[in-house]
Amino acid sequence: MIAIETAGLCKQFKGKKMTRVDALKSLDLQIEAGEVFGFLGPNGAGKSTTIKLIMGLLKPSSGTASIMGVDSTLTDSRRQVGFLPENPAFYDYLSAEEYITFVGSQFRMDSSLLKRRTEDVLKRLDLWEARKRPMRGYSKGMVQRVGLAQTLVHDPDVYILDEPMSGLDPIGRALVKDIILDLKRRGKCVFFSTHITDDVEKVCDRVGVIVKGSLVAVDLVENIMRSGVEGYLVHLRLQDGAGRNFAGIEPLRVAGSTSEFYVSCSAFNAFMGEVNASGAEVALVETRRRDLEDFFLSLVNRP
Amino acid sequence: MLSIVTITLKGIFRDRIFQGIMVLSVLFIFIPSVASLSMRQVTELSTTLSLSLISFIMLLLAIFLGATSIWKDIERRYTFSVLSLPVSRSTYLVGRFLGIAIFMLIAALFLGSAAIVSIKIASLTYPPARPLLWSAIITSIVFDALKYIIVVAVAMTLATVSTSFFLPVFGAISTFLAGTVTQQVYDYLQTPSAQAAVSVVVRKSALVLYYLLPNLSGFDLKVHAIYAIPLNTQGLLLSAVYFLIYIGIVLSVGALLFARREMK
Ligand SMILES: Nc1ncnc2c1ncn2[C@@H]1O[C@H](COP(=O)(O)OP(=O)(O)O)[C@@H](O)[C@H]1O
Ligand SMILES: [Mg+2]
Repeated sequence: MIAIETAGLCKQFKGKKMTRVDALKSLDLQIEAGEVFGFLGPNGAGKSTTIKLIMGLLKPSSGTASIMGVDSTLTDSRRQVGFLPENPAFYDYLSAEEYITFVGSQFRMDSSLLKRRTEDVLKRLDLWEARKRPMRGYSKGMVQRVGLAQTLVHDPDVYILDEPMSGLDPIGRALVKDIILDLKRRGKCVFFSTHITDDVEKVCDRVGVIVKGSLVAVDLVENIMRSGVEGYLVHLRLQDGAGRNFAGIEPLRVAGSTSEFYVSCSAFNAFMGEVNASGAEVALVETRRRDLEDFFLSLVNRP
Repeated sequence: MLSIVTITLKGIFRDRIFQGIMVLSVLFIFIPSVASLSMRQVTELSTTLSLSLISFIMLLLAIFLGATSIWKDIERRYTFSVLSLPVSRSTYLVGRFLGIAIFMLIAALFLGSAAIVSIKIASLTYPPARPLLWSAIITSIVFDALKYIIVVAVAMTLATVSTSFFLPVFGAISTFLAGTVTQQVYDYLQTPSAQAAVSVVVRKSALVLYYLLPNLSGFDLKVHAIYAIPLNTQGLLLSAVYFLIYIGIVLSVGALLFARREMK
């Protein structure tokens, strides 16, 4: 089952002096139900534009978007989604409790269930104490948490979150990661945008990288992490001859009887062969990898 | 829809500007004493002043609420969160409108009660030449409210396409001013002297405006209320039907425009 799909999705904005901004250039994406997908890109890459198109807030210049098979231009496409806008704002004269209740009623939730769920999500997002105060007096982080609470209250199958961690302190960010992981365990589909690779690495199944309106890579996070292995750091304990080399590789560092070697993937087998033959004791092998950050930067900086 | 109406009403009652406008209703207290200074036709004058004060406050409310509600939702980026719920743009617009319309009726009830009290006080101290026709006074207040609800609908429709509040605010004020005179202009243009004096182009464009702009003169029953003139039921019915049709058309246009609007 495909939860979110875009096909040839394009968006141009009219800029100043008759210029045109190609905010999104023919995006094809298919996000499966039950998948956590990180939409990674630098500022101005077109992440929010994509999300607004999927939510029907913008009209595509060409192409289509759909949620759970329902075209995004239809009101019904939003029946099974919890959506968090970028830097959200909510009716500031309402309290968090009133707003969450309002959202639940738009999803036609039964009132006793709504009451229970409202309490659950307000507690989960640490808004219980503040629930009766008008949101006018909330801090940025609190408003962000209201935003998350209103995506959760009706327990939809699809979550679309535009920069969910922004404006939160470390505790808040950890909470959001926790919530996403929990949704993943419960088989929900989460599509979120971010410019921070660490967020993706921790929680996503798959990542798509968007740069200047084009999708430049889509892959499983696992594959990227594995393909990123560049070599190994090997610590050997040598009885004698500390400082000697193996297969022509000189130690990086020598401390007492321990020598530390950097071995590339291709040289690893030859290196270990000599180590075994010499009878040296292997104390530790560490994987040296390019992480998602390097992967991301290499894509962004590609000419 | 109902929940949108509810939050709209909550928003109005919690708004400072609304509270400020309602403070103006304190002026009702002074009406009998001010009117008594004239020494003649005190009750008639009290009625005039009360109805004018209601009109003035309702006009402020209509402009302020009609022009700013949708505009503010967009300006403050509430639309991103609300319009991404499973609610259609037209439902949202109509819900917002109904909230404001209901509020206008509540305001009419409140202001009307204050007016009736001050007219009653004036009439007890200075009995009027003709006995007061309460039904005319009450009907006049109700139709005044209907008139301003039309202004609200026009202002909201203008706000669906506007990026600033100038268009809805000044558009609504102009519509209101033009709407109160369009019947007179139309009647004048039908006279033989006007047919001779005014060019065809002007007459034709005036005719277009006559049909485009709301005709608000049918909602002005102040003269009936002040001089206790019996009401023409058929005329009232016609105005009520006109009210429904005009609002229906204006809001349909608004819904169409709003559905096409992009939330950038
Ligand atoms: N309303 C708009 N009018 C003109 N250009 C816009 C508008 N919104 C976004 N853009 C442009 O589209 C590009 C993508 O923006 P956006 O989707 O907000 O990026 P991101 O969310 O990835 O930071 C940017 O170059 C931005 O300047
Ligand atoms: Mg963005």
